[in-house]
Amino acid sequence: MAFWKKKDDAGSRQTRVFYATDIHGSERTFRKFLNGAKFYKVDHIIMGGDITGKFLVPIVHERDSHYRVTLQGATESIDGDSALQAVKDRVETLGFYHVTLEEDALHAMQESQGEIDALFRRLGRERLERWIALADERLAGTSVKWYVTGGNDDPMDVLSVLEGIDSDHVVNCEGRVVLMDDRYPMANCGYSNPTPWDTPREVEEEALEEHLERAVHGIEDFSSTIFNFHVPPYDCTLDDCPKLDWSTDPPTPVVVAGVAQSAPAGSTAVRKMLEKYQPLLQLTGHIHESRGLVKVGRTTVINPGSEYGEGILRGCIVNLQPGKVVGYQMTSG
Amino acid sequence: MATVAAKPEVFSRKASGLSRVMSPWSAFMYNFLTMGVIFPWTFVWAPAAFPGVSVWRACLFAILLELPIALAYVWMATAMPRSGGDYVFQSRVLGGAIGFPVVMSGFVIWILQWVALAGWLLATLGVAPLFMGLGVYYDNAGLIDAAVWAQSAQGHVIISIIGAAAMAALLVAGFKNYVRLQYFMFAATGILVVVLLVQFLRTSPEQFATALNHFSSVVDGRTDYYHWVQKDVADAGVNLLPKFALGATLLAMPIVWTSLQWATYSVEQGGEIKGARVFKNQMFIIVGSMVAMGISLAVLAWAEERAVGTAFFNAVSHSYYYVVSASGDGIGSVLPFPGMFAIVISPNPIITILVATCFILASLQITCNCYIGMTRVMVGMSLDRTLPAWLSKVSPRYRSPMNAHLIYFLLGCVAIYGYNYWAQWYSLTLGVTFACGYVFMISCLAAALMPYRAKALYDASPGAKYTLGGFPLVTIFGIIGFVFGLLALIAFLSNAAYGLKGTTPYIVVAGVFLVSLVGYWIGRAYQKGKGIDVNYAFLEVPPE
Repeated sequence: MAFWKKKDDAGSRQTRVFYATDIHGSERTFRKFLNGAKFYKVDHIIMGGDITGKFLVPIVHERDSHYRVTLQGATESIDGDSALQAVKDRVETLGFYHVTLEEDALHAMQESQGEIDALFRRLGRERLERWIALADERLAGTSVKWYVTGGNDDPMDVLSVLEGIDSDHVVNCEGRVVLMDDRYPMANCGYSNPTPWDTPREVEEEALEEHLERAVHGIEDFSSTIFNFHVPPYDCTLDDCPKLDWSTDPPTPVVVAGVAQSAPAGSTAVRKMLEKYQPLLQLTGHIHESRGLVKVGRTTVINPGSEYGEGILRGCIVNLQPGKVVGYQMTSG
Repeated sequence: MATVAAKPEVFSRKASGLSRVMSPWSAFMYNFLTMGVIFPWTFVWAPAAFPGVSVWRACLFAILLELPIALAYVWMATAMPRSGGDYVFQSRVLGGAIGFPVVMSGFVIWILQWVALAGWLLATLGVAPLFMGLGVYYDNAGLIDAAVWAQSAQGHVIISIIGAAAMAALLVAGFKNYVRLQYFMFAATGILVVVLLVQFLRTSPEQFATALNHFSSVVDGRTDYYHWVQKDVADAGVNLLPKFALGATLLAMPIVWTSLQWATYSVEQGGEIKGARVFKNQMFIIVGSMVAMGISLAVLAWAEERAVGTAFFNAVSHSYYYVVSASGDGIGSVLPFPGMFAIVISPNPIITILVATCFILASLQITCNCYIGMTRVMVGMSLDRTLPAWLSKVSPRYRSPMNAHLIYFLLGCVAIYGYNYWAQWYSLTLGVTFACGYVFMISCLAAALMPYRAKALYDASPGAKYTLGGFPLVTIFGIIGFVFGLLALIAFLSNAAYGLKGTTPYIVVAGVFLVSLVGYWIGRAYQKGKGIDVNYAFLEVPPE
């Protein structure tokens, strides 16, 4: 029942995409993301970066089929295989990695940051490889493509899985221009400006601008171009977040006279690129709390936010025609 | 058996994350203030509505009425710690076709009435006592006239609009400005409770009678007002010292519930609360604040009744709320609210200014709560495309949803005008609490069904591990909360003593719901024309 339906321009059918970002390793959120293609009836799905998990949860074997795990601040005992599997599922829903080990191995790991880092990288790669295989399996028989790039939280070591990828459905976009549906050039960049967390892929604004210029290289007409830049443009209201004290670990909110301060955390380089090229659309993320849509000049900027930890897939469906964002729908699946 | 590890058994790596700025303690206070220790109707209305009631016991019993509802909200708040609370809960579990009209009608539209009520509180409990107390102390007729004007319809409208405009401007200018003022509002409410208690506890009915008679003689020129008002009501056939009645006390619980039900209001800001997914935090925030407020109301009711005397306590309730008066002269200008009585006891400038200022700040807090909660819900609805995108636009200059605030202020002005100049509208006051009550009831239903209709969401929540006899505890509390809420609503609908008289309030409440429902379907159809299905905003994508 479309009372207000307008006729499409002759010959310009809509391209419908589903965009999500910052799922930080959450298994359940990723599976929802893949299923989003069919569920939301879209032509393509786009992932905006920060796909790697942040926490590693050891599941400690105590005796026989008894284990213990520390999750969300509480230590729980686990009895039996089904309970063990349930805990592993919970850990993966939260976007964490898990490893089952003996007490001695845990103590050894607690003393070795190098071992922890190596395990993070290995588990990150394994999960991404599994996701790519799952995408090929679930998207088989469709024309849907998963366009994927990294974010500032994704180590290059993990993203290396995307290089040389051989897939009918997964498109590695990192640092390059891809042509979506033969009509929409999409420039991609997962680097960010500096953050208080000292993440793997953050650089100074000048260096970020160079990354961004390389990412758009080759695009001549920006009227239908999409920027899939992980970081939002500076001071656009989609980059508002609590101001943090960088000197503490982890960073803590800055409170002045009892008032938590907020500040824009976007990138001036991204803003400069937006104002310079005025693309049709920028898909962004990075700031989980600032979900929304704004216009910067002619460019529609969308940050769907993120609640991966709850197993919730925050996203945005965007209906496109050349030179035009026809409609959008924020989702919370 | 749980084992406590000596070293942390979770490893993290350098990665960015989401920061929440509202502490559990702030959220507790936010709920405490929203429940409104300043709302006078429990003390003024219940004695006349249900003769034989023990108001302080009713306050304690009402804690039990709200408890399962509050517990159901704890589960929901930890499972979905997002801004927009009730709308999110209901739309995600029951669907947008239920969540939108219920929250739109019961909260967004009806809470406009609270903007008017907050203005009324500002004028009646803050500004009027300020002028009256000072007028009596300085024997200044001009100040007393100003107090009487503040209690008039015109005074209410002007003071309400000034208050609503000032708070809208404050919030539009930036949330942090409000947070600064909030600390004074917190402090004011705390001071107020202490001052009221001290005033009541140090006063005997005889001392109060003397003080009130002096006060009333200056304001209204009446002599021996304390005894006169009791005789005036008794002569109309009212028993001023009825025997304690448990039934009447239980019937008064829904009146107290109209305050305690707001213990859940912090869920509208769930996305901003630190540790919102942690069970004990939400227990403290929601259940803790509710119990604290229930006890505070009970202590205040007991202390006030003790100070003014039970017969007078009952007499002014009949005289003010039901306009019972054998002589026809009525209650006069000294309105029977706890703050006014505290000033009457010591009409000196320090007590007067302190009490009045605290009431003014606490009233403004209620106004702010209306704006903060409802603009968040409206922004959430707008992002879901069930309200126009214009409403969720954040002002680049002020970093706040200016349009949502502006529209809510303008609609609030209409409510203020109608409330104060149209007698029928005034009679809808109870309709407001009734309407808001069905929101809580439906959220309880959502809680009960969450493990079945939003299984993935529930399974990932910290409350999923709590079961009783194989049933999720949230389902049990949700069902009990739903039934309790339903009983309270049936009471409101069926018993005229709760204030719903005639057919107009029913028609209006139903009409508002119907308008919201039709609005939802119109918006849905409009978005469909643009290739957007608003249902996608609410539906959970299956992971498998």
